[in-house]
Amino acid sequence: MILLNWIRENFFGTKLDVAMTITGVLFIYFVLSTVISFILNSDWTLIMVNRQLMLTGLMPQEEIWRIWTIFSLTSILMTISISFWFKINIKGSIFYILLLLIPFLIFTTKNTVLYVLLIMFISIVFFYLGHRSKNSKLKNIVSKIIMISWIILLPICFLILNILDGPKMTLWGGFMINLILAAIAIFAGFPLGILLALGRASSYKLIKLVSTVYIEVIRGAPLVAWLLLAWFVLPKFLPNLFGLSDINIVVRAMIVLSLFASAYIAEVIRGGLQSIPKGQEEASFALGINSISTTIFIVLPQAIRIVIPTVVSTFIAIFKDTSLVFILAITDLLRIGRLIPEQQQAFFGKSIESLAVVALLFWVVSLVLSQISRTIEKKLNI
Amino acid sequence: MKKKVSKKKISVEAKGITKSFGDFQALKGITANIYEGEVVVVLGPSGSGKSTFIRTINGLEEHNSGEITVNGIPLNDDVKNRDVIRGQVGMVFQQFNLFPHLSVLRNITLAPQKVKKLSKSESEELAMSLLERVGIPEQAEKYPAQLSGGQQQRVAIARALAMQPKIMLFDEPTSALDPEMIKEVLDVMIELAQSGMTMICVTHEMGFAREVADRFLFFDEGLIVEEGTPDHFFNNPQEERTKLFLSQIL
Repeated sequence: MILLNWIRENFFGTKLDVAMTITGVLFIYFVLSTVISFILNSDWTLIMVNRQLMLTGLMPQEEIWRIWTIFSLTSILMTISISFWFKINIKGSIFYILLLLIPFLIFTTKNTVLYVLLIMFISIVFFYLGHRSKNSKLKNIVSKIIMISWIILLPICFLILNILDGPKMTLWGGFMINLILAAIAIFAGFPLGILLALGRASSYKLIKLVSTVYIEVIRGAPLVAWLLLAWFVLPKFLPNLFGLSDINIVVRAMIVLSLFASAYIAEVIRGGLQSIPKGQEEASFALGINSISTTIFIVLPQAIRIVIPTVVSTFIAIFKDTSLVFILAITDLLRIGRLIPEQQQAFFGKSIESLAVVALLFWVVSLVLSQISRTIEKKLNI
Repeated sequence: MKKKVSKKKISVEAKGITKSFGDFQALKGITANIYEGEVVVVLGPSGSGKSTFIRTINGLEEHNSGEITVNGIPLNDDVKNRDVIRGQVGMVFQQFNLFPHLSVLRNITLAPQKVKKLSKSESEELAMSLLERVGIPEQAEKYPAQLSGGQQQRVAIARALAMQPKIMLFDEPTSALDPEMIKEVLDVMIELAQSGMTMICVTHEMGFAREVADRFLFFDEGLIVEEGTPDHFFNNPQEERTKLFLSQIL
């Protein structure tokens, strides 16, 4: 009865409500039926055959363990962070698990199923450990360890990709290259963006000028243009030292994406800096705290807190922008998704299936990012 | 209860200070001496320059001309001097200006740790004793937003005291408070005044002023129009402007 009343009140309250409900239901029915019939009537062997290609590109089979090791480390770190820092609610956990199952279902093959199960088991153990240590005496130490682990995660990933005679960077590809490029762009672009934002707000004219010009120049041209410039022009400008002038195309993409990201992040953070009341700085100065410490301990933490939602949308945008590296002939997920139906005879013309999975994968990661940002917002009470 | 003020040792010496904001001249030549242990209440209508004056004392506003000397240190272009002065001069603001992202305890310990290089445990001990002094030790772990206005302002006072200042500046400390919270803040200020702290207060709380002030400075249009003891002010003001002002707020 309560349910019926609730439905009546919320969906059939007024004539307008009735009209909107009917239109809405018809629309949802139309969309869902199209999607479901597409899913049911399509031949998904394309994905089953090519999933390793989509995940890792042209990386040779015997190097795949590197990818799985990286995935396990990240997964373990993520679960322990979530259970340690956030309140766990059942609804949220189920949501995350379902979301993360999608890539696992797509990418897990017979050879790797044991590996995946092992990762899941270890992750659950760490989830539990994180939960337990939340209220123990070790809290401060665990918190430090987790933070340091996040900082060194990226270098460690690089190490894992390169030690023991790793594959050439140009062989990196698939969804992995999108994730790596995004991670690099975010980890390098964020601190650089903070510096640029501070530079632009600085009272030193020269620093201000340089930061402003940098930001406006970078933002003034599309990413595609910068990528092409990096391809054709960069080698001519770099000195021919240490093989700088012929650094490989993946590293160039990393540099361009990081620089591009930093300009956008800088503008977002500048907005945050401007929203901090002048009184905060004054109170800090009045206590005798110098301007550098005031920025680090008073202004910046508050500014970043305010702009977390916008920063995360920038991160998501950058992550999706990594698909543009196809113009540098890097075989990222999108490029593979387009090549499969063009080059494999068995799947000629099956672009829709292929691209649908590409879109789904990008969507899952973006959604997880935005959910994490929402959780952080809630925790920080913004 | 009045204490002795030594008329010999000057804490703050201001000579002919001027300050303009664009075309508006906020201070038109302020000369005043504040002695050690003295409680000076600065009065005046809004826009008279009283806040600007006390903000020049710790360099939050840079004065255009004139000389300010605090505890014998000249406040000039030398950033080192300015930082030393700021360490010796505490300030309490109308809007509290607590750091919202830090706990009450951390609000108080930050400056002693960063400026005086106290250890974590030393500074926390100091902070707790100050919270004890302002009467809210149980709020140490909370965040500013969880406290009432009166409690926030008391934390702000404790935060300023943590630098063990020789002079305290109060810029309308009770103006942003609900009426029922004013007393708890004034009580802390009265206790502070009786302990012998040198204080310069911009305030309209005449009850407080009557109880603890040693001297009044009356500002109007960027100048000190009249100064004197509370007795002089309440019973025998000379200037028309002062009389008018007092008749409006008393």
